[in-house]
Amino acid sequence: MASFGRFIRLAVGACVFLLVIAASVPCNAQQVNPTASSVKEQQLLQELNRIQGRVSIPDQRSGVLEQPAGRDWREFRNVTLRWIGGIAILGMIAVMVIFYLTRGMVRLESGRSGRTIVRFRAFERFVHWMTASCFIVLAISGLNITFGRPLLLPLIGFEAFSEWSQWAKYAHNYLSFPFTIGVVLIFLMWIAGNIPNKVDVEWLKRGGGIVGHDHPPAYRFNAGQKAIYWIVVMGGGAVAVTGYELMFPFYLSGIEGMQLAQIVHSVVSVLFIAAMLAHIYIGTIGMEGAFDAMGTGEVDLNWAKEHHSLWVEEELAKGPSSGSSPRPVAAE
Amino acid sequence: MKAFLAALLFAAIAAVGVSILLNAIQEPSSVAFTTGGARVGDPGHNLVGPNG
Repeated sequence: MASFGRFIRLAVGACVFLLVIAASVPCNAQQVNPTASSVKEQQLLQELNRIQGRVSIPDQRSGVLEQPAGRDWREFRNVTLRWIGGIAILGMIAVMVIFYLTRGMVRLESGRSGRTIVRFRAFERFVHWMTASCFIVLAISGLNITFGRPLLLPLIGFEAFSEWSQWAKYAHNYLSFPFTIGVVLIFLMWIAGNIPNKVDVEWLKRGGGIVGHDHPPAYRFNAGQKAIYWIVVMGGGAVAVTGYELMFPFYLSGIEGMQLAQIVHSVVSVLFIAAMLAHIYIGTIGMEGAFDAMGTGEVDLNWAKEHHSLWVEEELAKGPSSGSSPRPVAAE
Repeated sequence: MKAFLAALLFAAIAAVGVSILLNAIQEPSSVAFTTGGARVGDPGHNLVGPNG
């Protein structure tokens, strides 16, 4: 009897042992993934378009956790904008180089007469140079914001790039004020002479005389100069408005408005820079005698007759022609 | 030349003047966004701010 009892205990023990072994072995057919059908982040974003909630921080805008438009904007700012800027600026430089090598400097065909006529008064030159010098610093510091990290940082290292970028940002933000003042003054000073008219249509049809040796007539400002005027006024106005919106963040708009302001500011700026490169070219090496207009304020009479014949007629009709001493020009 | 130098000088004076004015009327975000209910603390020392 005792031996039978031992046999039973042995049998039961063995069965329990086998059961424990079997239960401890993972059984693939029964494995469950508890999160298989739960909502994924990507689904959530697509459904809701933005993720936001309640926050105790006073600035309620911090309640927006993620918005897909932000990623689109980041793609624009890091990729698209750099392409636009690169093509516009490098493309303009390439065009100017090719043009200079083929057409060369537009020469004063009848040579200098030695007599001058006042073209721009001191105040006009002051306003132009204030706006222009601010523009140069704004352009360089602005390009640093877009291109500095990929192009300049590898060359000069983190310490130098940080220091330079801090000063560039301060310069950009503070010089925007005299630049804006200059744009407003330019608009007011020269609006009278920059209204397009029939003479400009004819001037444009003849290509401004830029190709060949044509000298289409023009008043004080030819069609090319009027184009630059309106680019400065409208472009300058656009970058000023969007720039101040960026400088005083969220005063006027939410995050979408700030993104739009940055897009407008950056695109207009890089195109503005390309246009100003052409303006600088034609006013310096592109045309003989042109720089005098903004340099000393007086231009050679032959230069004036060749490039602004109708303006010279008006000026000479006002009084005796000016010699080497400046003659005051009547206000426009 | 005089007009050009006067222009540079005026631009520099205007920029400095604006910087003084703005620094006087603007507050750093840790001050501006602190209320009785939530204190936005010291942002740290690795940022460019009024003391940096």
